[in-house]
Amino acid sequence: MGEDQGKNTGAEPLFENWMKSTAELWTSMAKMLAASPASGKKETPESDMQKSRAQETLESALKMLGSLSSAAGEPETADSIFKGMNIFPQILNRMAQTAWDTYAHFQQQWIETAGRLGKQTEAYRFDDLDKDVFRAWTDLYEQEFRKFLHIPHLGLTRFYQERMSLVMDRYTIFQGSIAEFLHLLYLPMEKSMKVMEEKVGSMAEEGDILQDPDEYYKMWIKVLEGHYMTLFKSPEYTKVLGKTLATMEDFLLKRQEIFQDLLQTLPVPTNKDMDDLYGEIYQLKKRIKMLEKTHATE
Amino acid sequence: MGQPKIPLDLILSNLAEDAEKSTKRAREASEVLLSQLDTGIATTPYDVVYQEDRVKLKHYRPVTDVKMKTPLMVVYALINRETMLDLQPGRSVVQNFLKEGIDVYMVDWGYPTRKDKFLTIDDHVNGYMDNIVEFIRRRHNLSKINLMGICMGGTFSVIYAALHPEKLKNLVTTVTPTNFDTDQGLLHIWMKDIDVNRMIDAFGNMPGDLMNFGFLLLNPARLMIDKYVGFFQNMDNKTFVENFVRMEKWIFDSPDVPGETFRQFVKDCYHENLLIQSRMNVGGKRVDLKKITMPLLNFYGKYDHLVPPGACELLTGKVGSKDTEDVCLDTGHIGIYVSSKCQREFAPKIAEWLKERDDREKETKAPKKKDTIKQIENIINANQEM
Repeated sequence: MGEDQGKNTGAEPLFENWMKSTAELWTSMAKMLAASPASGKKETPESDMQKSRAQETLESALKMLGSLSSAAGEPETADSIFKGMNIFPQILNRMAQTAWDTYAHFQQQWIETAGRLGKQTEAYRFDDLDKDVFRAWTDLYEQEFRKFLHIPHLGLTRFYQERMSLVMDRYTIFQGSIAEFLHLLYLPMEKSMKVMEEKVGSMAEEGDILQDPDEYYKMWIKVLEGHYMTLFKSPEYTKVLGKTLATMEDFLLKRQEIFQDLLQTLPVPTNKDMDDLYGEIYQLKKRIKMLEKTHATE
Repeated sequence: MGQPKIPLDLILSNLAEDAEKSTKRAREASEVLLSQLDTGIATTPYDVVYQEDRVKLKHYRPVTDVKMKTPLMVVYALINRETMLDLQPGRSVVQNFLKEGIDVYMVDWGYPTRKDKFLTIDDHVNGYMDNIVEFIRRRHNLSKINLMGICMGGTFSVIYAALHPEKLKNLVTTVTPTNFDTDQGLLHIWMKDIDVNRMIDAFGNMPGDLMNFGFLLLNPARLMIDKYVGFFQNMDNKTFVENFVRMEKWIFDSPDVPGETFRQFVKDCYHENLLIQSRMNVGGKRVDLKKITMPLLNFYGKYDHLVPPGACELLTGKVGSKDTEDVCLDTGHIGIYVSSKCQREFAPKIAEWLKERDDREKETKAPKKKDTIKQIENIINANQEM
């Protein structure tokens, strides 16, 4: 249908003529330029060389345009161009289809991620606000979101981008750990309050209410201390403490790398520069002190 | 009508009374807090007689005749500062020592910076400590001096005593951890799971504030809540406020610990417990506790939550010396030095113990090297004559 449409318009002869005249224009332009007085004028060897090179480039460009126009003016080429023009809407349609498929693929992935998010939430019982929330968040991040920060970076600045992604990654992990740790620290407060409620309730039932409010405080602080001691001795606390410290240290190490990148662009020494220097001074001082001692004993 | 189950009227009346008291206290507290407070610490006069890098040696000016010819060198931990031994007049171990006629030297480790991160235990023990001991020996023209170590400074002193026994006359260790394989203290439990390599790589030096936060977490109910409730209840009392602020100044004055020293301390001591087994290496030499042959006095606190008795009490049984004594006081880690009760027990006991050994030395004065040679010559001559 497209081909018929092209033939029916009768535009090919017109296109051929236009292309031929364009090719003639470029060719005559190139000839004019070659014959121009500037091209024959020789002032200095340097300017001659510069002009000749510029002229050569221009001539070459004009010739190429001429050749292209001439080639385009051939009936076969013109026919091919018209065919291409006719199928352009189809190409556009295919490109749009590809883009849509890609978008749909990503959307599908996100829907799946969201679905898993729901499953995780259920598994860790989000409705019960306890430390599992933080664990769930960390797991979700590690399984579903972290991979986006690990997409390979390309090009000249890939290492800088990679370090930036890593610092964001470690910061997110650290935030999850510290939230879990702080929540754990809050648990004894919550429990001690509950114990106090029960104690005061049973005391009230027995009519054994303390008249001095200070006594309640003393009772509470003792209960709180007991709960903290129980928590601190638990392997779970040690594990969470260790994890929090480890994630904080990981984040700090990655952050240092970013600072290193930034400071390198400024006229100040970086920590690494200073550490190298301090290391050398330390070794030198040690050697001098040893030599001094040896000399003193001789 | 009988007695009500809950005497609401009485409770309300108490609350009203408390509110009145609180208002009065707040009024008086504002006067106290706005007045001139004496919160200075470490005010006993001293001279800095030696300095190497950041490390200084303080020599306290005697307040009475020096009764012992052998001076005492005190080595504090790298954690917190030595000012704790001279917290305030009337609660100062340094002043008590001076009153007892002891010539007191104190090592001030200063504030390590990033450039000190490479310093190891060897640099502290065989470097700074040995140089200071040499300085004191030369200054007093003595071959041996007395050494007293506190906490981590005590551990350093034990290492020093094992590596340089010929330079020490007596050794006093106070709240000194030497056995790290114990579950008595939370610190010992937590330290076992610490990845010290990553920690030092991340921080360079071990930050003092981070350590202090860790110490607060050992008992948050008391150290982060009850302590300040106590302050609010007593802030109309000027003396209480002054003492409280002094203690706060000391507690939160925390230098960083040089990274490599901290790394080795955690790995060799907390993780592998090498010191008490005489398997630790410092400066390429094995720290053999059997080489500690000088008299040893070992103090520790029964309720110490940082360095529990289990971490201290094995030492006396592991050293080579036959003259050893353990003293367990009914107090905690800091109470040994600052509580009123321990002020009466701690410094006087050390002074008495050192004096006994100083006097004994005078009575049974060892023959000098020349005298010994003379004696040997006499024996040889006598044999030849026979």
